[in-house]
Amino acid sequence: MFRWILISTLMLAGQAVLLANTFRVCKTCPASSVREAIRQARPCDTIFVETGIYKEGNILIDKELTLIGNGRPVLDGEGKTEIVTIAANHVHFEGFVIKNVGTSYSEDRAGIRVKEASDFYVKNCRVENAFFGIYLQKSKNGIIEGNEVVGEAKDEVSSGNAIHLWYCNNVLIINNKTIGHRDGIYLEFVNFSTVQGNFSERNVRYGLHFMFSNDDIYRGNTFYNNGAGVAVMYSKRIGMFANEFKNNWGPAAYGLLLKEIHDGQIEGNTFQENTVGIFAETSNRIVYSKNQFIQNGWALKISGGCQMNNLTNNNFIGNSFDLAVHSAGTDNKFDGNFWSDYAGYDLDHNGIGDVPHRPMKLFSYVVSKTPESLVLLRSLFVDILNFSEKVSPIFTPENVVDNQPLLKTVDSQRWTVDNDTAPVHPLSSTVNR
Amino acid sequence: MPHHMKKLAILLLFGSILTACTPTAEPVAFGEDMCAHCKMTIVDEPFAAEAVSQKGKVYKFDAIECMVEFLKIKQSDQMALTLVRDYENPKEWQDATQCNYLISKDLPSPMGAGLSAWLSKENAEAMKAEKGGEVYDWEGLKQQFN
Repeated sequence: MFRWILISTLMLAGQAVLLANTFRVCKTCPASSVREAIRQARPCDTIFVETGIYKEGNILIDKELTLIGNGRPVLDGEGKTEIVTIAANHVHFEGFVIKNVGTSYSEDRAGIRVKEASDFYVKNCRVENAFFGIYLQKSKNGIIEGNEVVGEAKDEVSSGNAIHLWYCNNVLIINNKTIGHRDGIYLEFVNFSTVQGNFSERNVRYGLHFMFSNDDIYRGNTFYNNGAGVAVMYSKRIGMFANEFKNNWGPAAYGLLLKEIHDGQIEGNTFQENTVGIFAETSNRIVYSKNQFIQNGWALKISGGCQMNNLTNNNFIGNSFDLAVHSAGTDNKFDGNFWSDYAGYDLDHNGIGDVPHRPMKLFSYVVSKTPESLVLLRSLFVDILNFSEKVSPIFTPENVVDNQPLLKTVDSQRWTVDNDTAPVHPLSSTVNR
Repeated sequence: MPHHMKKLAILLLFGSILTACTPTAEPVAFGEDMCAHCKMTIVDEPFAAEAVSQKGKVYKFDAIECMVEFLKIKQSDQMALTLVRDYENPKEWQDATQCNYLISKDLPSPMGAGLSAWLSKENAEAMKAEKGGEVYDWEGLKQQFN
């Protein structure tokens, strides 16, 4: 009996495959426009679009279809409309160049919009000169892979986000490039999703931005020369692993901005040459470990009600200021890090300094009160100031102290994404993919 | 220097000091200025807001919801000006107390409240008919955030 069921199922499946048609779209094909092919196609069909420039305004995909561009066909919106709208489940969209989306103040037009759909796959597309690049709205269980979204955000006001997610669940955003938009990748009300291996450059505001999103991870991404690197705001249980935050300079620029973040994990990241490596405000129960803080203005600024954070096994190398803490929180821990300006000794050779280290200099406190005083940074006066405070701390918080400062740097074995040791977010395994 | 010239100079000096303290609105440097409440960079024109204290201190915000939250905390600081932008004409400041406010989940604002300001109550109602939500005046809006 069971065999019969199996055989008939297989036959049915075979029939479904036979029934699925393929269409070709080119100037001389029976279907000369993408729209026409979509109109003729039935669910589960595949449409191959040959190379060429197609100016068809908005293209609505409202059936389960696979659309594949052969030789990078161009869908040109001529600056008038949104271009591709995916409004059906199980749509596979691959290999197109999408350009010239019109800017509008009343609607957030996108190069590719996925609208209330599930099980979508958008792959290897290039979106140029778009207001919003790829916009996912109220969608779930999808993959955005290998796309390039390149804008020319000259004027920050008239630019949307490169990859924008709004009310989504369980989405994988992997190996994309986002350049020259407002935010490279933006997630608002997005849960159980992963952002991995992406590259964000020259975006006006942030390379990556989380708002009101929980149980997400981002790892192995590079954020370079954006207005600021990454902002994680009003979110819970976000895992941040093995990312690079580089070269974010400016008065409002951070490598990483944390605002009202609870139970996060920040591990194996590199913060290099930023005005501020990490700025944290009202962020609790975060573990900072195995991170590299190299040549930043401030490696880490902690302010306003941050509690129960644990900073351990990090390297602080050549920062102007390692730490600035302005928080009443008393139960933050700073033990077991390497500080390049630690001046203690290790008589028992156990690798741990015998004298506690106070990573917050008095001058760091002075500068936070009077920013203009920064011009005195390398002066003898400031050295004396810092030294006297070190000897008898009065102004700097008493509990900002590393009782076990390391004599050697923490092994800085580079994290890679496909490395087995790269940590997996504890909650990601509970989600059904 | 003649006596009256001296007087004039002193007057001018005081005048300039006084004007320095008069609360005046400042333009927002989009893409550079930081929100006084949430620390985000301000980029979205229609949603930018600003409050100026009696002493002339300027607070800028990336979203109206940030200003409302901020005013709640900073109640001690009397504000001389509270400014928002009309959703339909986002280049200019408007008196926040004279505007109407639409809270609609389907008209996203930078801080997730779906809050936009409208000079014309009629047009706010029209947008509400399209997107759903609720329209408030300034006092009603503040109630919503209490």
